[in-house]
Amino acid sequence: MKIIRENEDTASEAVEVLKRGGLVIYPTETTYGIGADATNPKAVKKLNKYKKRPFGKPYSIAVADQKMAQGYVELNESVGNLYKQFLPGPVTVISNGKHKVAPGVESETGTLGIRIPDYKLVIDIVKGLGKPITATSANASYQKRPYKLDDIFENISPAQKELVDLAIDAGELPHNEPSTVIDTTMEGLAVLRQGEIKLENKNEVLSRSEDNTQNIAKELFQKYEKYLGKRPLIFALEGPMGVGKTQFTKGLGRAMGIKEEIVSPTFSLILEYPRLSHFDAWRLQNSSELETLGFVKMLEDRNMVIAIEWADRVINAIKKRRDQAVVVWVKINYGEKDNERLISWGNI
Amino acid sequence: MKILSIDTSCDETTAAVTEDTKILSNIIWSQASAHAKFGGVMPSLAQRMHEERIAWVIERALATGHCSLATIDCIAVTIGPGLSIALGVGVNKAKELAIKYKKPLIAVNHLEGHVLSSLAGSEYLVSSIQYPAFGLAVSGGNTVLVKINKIGEYETLAATVDDALGEALDKAARMLGLGYPGGAILEKFARLGNPKAYTLPIPIVGQEERKIFTYSGLKTAMYRLVEKEKPLTREKIYDLAACFQDVAFSHLLRVLRYVLTNHYSLIANHLLVGGGVAANVELRKRLRKLGKEFKINVHFPSSNKLYGDNAAMIGVVAYFRAQRGEFIDPDKIDRDPRLSI
Repeated sequence: MKIIRENEDTASEAVEVLKRGGLVIYPTETTYGIGADATNPKAVKKLNKYKKRPFGKPYSIAVADQKMAQGYVELNESVGNLYKQFLPGPVTVISNGKHKVAPGVESETGTLGIRIPDYKLVIDIVKGLGKPITATSANASYQKRPYKLDDIFENISPAQKELVDLAIDAGELPHNEPSTVIDTTMEGLAVLRQGEIKLENKNEVLSRSEDNTQNIAKELFQKYEKYLGKRPLIFALEGPMGVGKTQFTKGLGRAMGIKEEIVSPTFSLILEYPRLSHFDAWRLQNSSELETLGFVKMLEDRNMVIAIEWADRVINAIKKRRDQAVVVWVKINYGEKDNERLISWGNI
Repeated sequence: MKILSIDTSCDETTAAVTEDTKILSNIIWSQASAHAKFGGVMPSLAQRMHEERIAWVIERALATGHCSLATIDCIAVTIGPGLSIALGVGVNKAKELAIKYKKPLIAVNHLEGHVLSSLAGSEYLVSSIQYPAFGLAVSGGNTVLVKINKIGEYETLAATVDDALGEALDKAARMLGLGYPGGAILEKFARLGNPKAYTLPIPIVGQEERKIFTYSGLKTAMYRLVEKEKPLTREKIYDLAACFQDVAFSHLLRVLRYVLTNHYSLIANHLLVGGGVAANVELRKRLRKLGKEFKINVHFPSSNKLYGDNAAMIGVVAYFRAQRGEFIDPDKIDRDPRLSI
């Protein structure tokens, strides 16, 4: 391993090492990082060996600018805004990857973290290489944050040290926190699909309070209750955050005589009460995941009531079961005044 | 008594070895660690990841704790509350090991684990706390205040009727375009903002006697405010984060204050706090201040690993259960995703 002080030739020397598939330790505005050519499978393998990662944990990559990022991840408008506000800087933004990097760099689900370091040397190296480099801290997994080269070398084995080809010494870095990681892989998903369901014979009422919303749910339940025993009932709830989807489900529960408190299922994905299953599809990545949670099996019970929040995200899974169940699609939207909601429904 | 405990209630695959209330090892494999976190959850993948990792995590817990399945005394596992298919992985594994190695099996409530997490590794606390005491669990999935009559006997004093506190913080972060889950990012950014820059309504202000936690109205107000303030600049994001966090905590503290004020008859000198959101520095500061005011000792977990989901806290609960002889037949153990405390 070679250690050099940061000078005007440093970038080009680092680029040469990276081109050959080598590992370079470099300073950033947070901690020392270790870089490999993120598109070179051999280099990434070498990095895995150095980091001693127990399983394939993904790596973030450092790019020179937003344009370069676009070559490796999908960027939409809201994420673009995030880049504008925070990059370059100590923030890692995760988006869906385009699978243009070596295996093991993206996560198991194909997401990829992007860094644009606020540190000229790193940008120069990436520009010189013309490809992204891995942006992971230079310590081995579970070791202390490296703010100087000694923090690294005192905590690794000779064999690990051997794997490093070049270390760029910029002295002791200011003790800044590691980068903040922002995961945007859900951004826009719900929005994209909005409006896909067109309600025929649309019914619409105005709710002026949470109690109102619960009562409307109760009335809707009573209207459709007659199908129970022949078909299970699905209340597919669509509407923006905070609009009252859980409130609506509380109303269903009340109408069904459920005594327990009905709470948001966002965290647990599904909460089951006697005869009522309450799903939240907000965090689900695709339609088929609803089935993993037991949706299909539930439909076998013809007395079952199923409420699905963020139903627009799993519309295909619901549509597929239209014949087995009575599906009531409920749209809840914000009204003009703060407390107002427009609730419309129809069968699909 | 050496216990191997397992918790797979959500995103973390965890195992620990504890001896009484002492922690010998506490291994956490997080699907959320670094950026392995996927924005949307894929339950099938989550289940597969738990299945793939549980053997390794258990092995690590035993090795780090310098013991083996032959030398431990019991096996404990979380049966709920949590994500059903994730819980199933831990329950099945524990059952399998209990039968194979003929070890007594203990079923544990995850919430009780959070409530007692400050006792893990703190022998002094275990011996010095007098009951009844208060317990508070604040996490992504739960927000509950309980009266601990004695260990193993709890009475709910206040619980959330919609979102958990951690979930509300995560959703606020999402509205600010900070991804999901973003509660930790929100905390970071809140430190840079001015909590008085905007006005958000404190939930059920003046009606704390309802003894509920509720974040739905605040969430709605935040949604409207964010829409109004768009396009968001960095400064606006900092201020909005600060404001939301401030109000979310104020609500929690106001309900706590009400309960403490109105339980004069209850002579309690201790409040045990646990759960991921308890790691929030601002919240801890406010809870400590409240404690001072009411002359109540506020206790937090002794290490970072004990805040989020972990198995050491499950081991501690299991130890107390074992003391009471509360074992379960491996053929009868089952998960209970909506288990309450």
